Amino acid sequence: MRVVIAEDDALLREGLVLLLANEGIEVRAAVDNGDDLLAAISAERPDAAIVDVRLPPSFTDEGLRAAVEARRRLPRLPILVLSAYVEDSYATDLLADDAGGVGYLLKERVGRVEKFLDALHRVVDGGTVLDPEVVAQLMVRRRADDPMRTLTPREREVLALMAEGYANGAIAEQLSVSETAVSKHIGNIFAKLGLQPTDTGHRRVLAVLAHLRS
Amino acid sequence: MGMSGRRFGAWLLASLRATRRALPYLVGGIPGSLVALVYVPVFVLCLLLGFGYMMLPALVRFLRWRARVDRRRTARFTGDPIPQSYDPPAEGRWGEQVPALLVPATFRDLYWLFVHGWTGSVFGLLAIGLPLSAINAVAVPFYWWAMPAGSGHPVTSWVGALSMVPVAAACAVLALMLVPRCARWEATLARKRLVPPPDDELTRRVAELTASRAAALEAHGAELRRIERDLHDGTQNRLVAVMMQLGIAERALRRDPETALPLVLRAQNAAGDALGELRNVVRSIYPPVLAERGLDGAVAGLVARCPVPCTLTADGLRRAPAAVESAAYFTVAEALTNVAKHSGAERAEVRLSTDHGLLVIEVIDDGHGGAAEDAGTGLVGIRRRVAAFDGRTELSSPPGGPTVLRAELPCGS
Repeated sequence: MRVVIAEDDALLREGLVLLLANEGIEVRAAVDNGDDLLAAISAERPDAAIVDVRLPPSFTDEGLRAAVEARRRLPRLPILVLSAYVEDSYATDLLADDAGGVGYLLKERVGRVEKFLDALHRVVDGGTVLDPEVVAQLMVRRRADDPMRTLTPREREVLALMAEGYANGAIAEQLSVSETAVSKHIGNIFAKLGLQPTDTGHRRVLAVLAHLRS
Repeated sequence: MGMSGRRFGAWLLASLRATRRALPYLVGGIPGSLVALVYVPVFVLCLLLGFGYMMLPALVRFLRWRARVDRRRTARFTGDPIPQSYDPPAEGRWGEQVPALLVPATFRDLYWLFVHGWTGSVFGLLAIGLPLSAINAVAVPFYWWAMPAGSGHPVTSWVGALSMVPVAAACAVLALMLVPRCARWEATLARKRLVPPPDDELTRRVAELTASRAAALEAHGAELRRIERDLHDGTQNRLVAVMMQLGIAERALRRDPETALPLVLRAQNAAGDALGELRNVVRSIYPPVLAERGLDGAVAGLVARCPVPCTLTADGLRRAPAAVESAAYFTVAEALTNVAKHSGAERAEVRLSTDHGLLVIEVIDDGHGGAAEDAGTGLVGIRRRVAAFDGRTELSSPPGGPTVLRAELPCGS
């Protein structure tokens, strides 16, 4: 796998390059700002870009905007955005287009190397990855009459994992249940929330998020 | 006759005294009132025609000078000082000065000059004319016969000359009666127009406090952003680095434990860096040394660390609220940084004192001077920090030095 990295903190950038290299991932370019990122993406045509949200010169959401621009120029380019803190509105910007292949994770998730690599692979394979923290933020704000309240604890777990972008098999594995059980839970959840059960993949994530935000 | 004669004598004496006091006041007002008669129409015309705005600062300076002179004159006459309060002249470009000049105080002064132009000249002429007429009427019998015939002099006979004596008496009595009264009217008018309205001082104070509150919010916001940046770019990133190194070490342990040790050591270093960053952030919010050793102790540390040899005088310094001491500490810190970076000084001095509820900070250096407000952000930062506490900053830095930075912070007591 070939990736490009945009991260302005030199130590983190080097650490990330080392980490990925140790895992056999080829880092074709490691830059520290949005413009260089766009240039590197055009030049290298990587399998994925890993981008810090906060980049110079504005140190606000420069990286996010660069990521959105990169997706506009190269639709379906897998992008994994890292951030020191998560904001639902950032996730909304990022997931706005209908194509999958995007991820939004807290920076410190890179320390759980196995999970981080898994997330990276899912993004490269066109999946959607959303940090549990974002999902948790979305799940706490519930009104009294919300059908979410009728979900069982297990169903809420399944819903959260769906929102984070996991496929049924991965959900089953994480909850140590059978995939059939997961399918049954999902059927119940969609029925209770009044969602179309036909959606899969990125569209399923979007549907779940749309419901969580409503 | 004896009784009323004594009473007349007493009245005469009192009136003479009052007239002698009133005369200089009224006569002294004549030049100013004549100038005012010209100045007020010119001022109004200038503004109406537009180009007066170009000269507004000069026009208002003159106006205030005139009003000041009249305040002093009237105070000398009544023995009762007239307070004055003007907003300090706005600094900066002409466009910023104009709104600060078109304020009620300016129009009050203008109104006074308008009134004074008329009253001052009429009363002044009375004050000169009546006594002179009286003296002239008395003198007529002694000189009328010397006037050449056909000179148009109204007195042409001894009868006419002697009839001037009652005229003299009438003029004298009129002068004695009118001149003190006119002076009193004029003084009353002046007081009424020249004393700032009672709420003026209050309004000014409210404006000042509003400005300092805005500065406080601004400074607070800037401070929050700085702390957030420091935490984000420093501490948080260092901790992410720790996580990352540990993650790499973990993977190495699984694959080849031999290679894991240096990675663990790197993680340890990264954790140390994170702690160091965190310490810096904490110190930049509120230096713990302030609480432990007080402002003088904390500043002594700054002075000792200053690359330019520096002494500290902190006699008569009392404790102030934590926020004020912290502002003072950072003011000294920034000032000493400026001294070290820009002044070229060979020695510097920091003086701290408490004076009438003010914490006074002075930082003096013997460098080359010429420190400018806009050259670096240091001075601007100091000014903003001090203004946030309703304090004042003064900078004196003539070319060739010495540079004296003086900041006063109200202690809130």
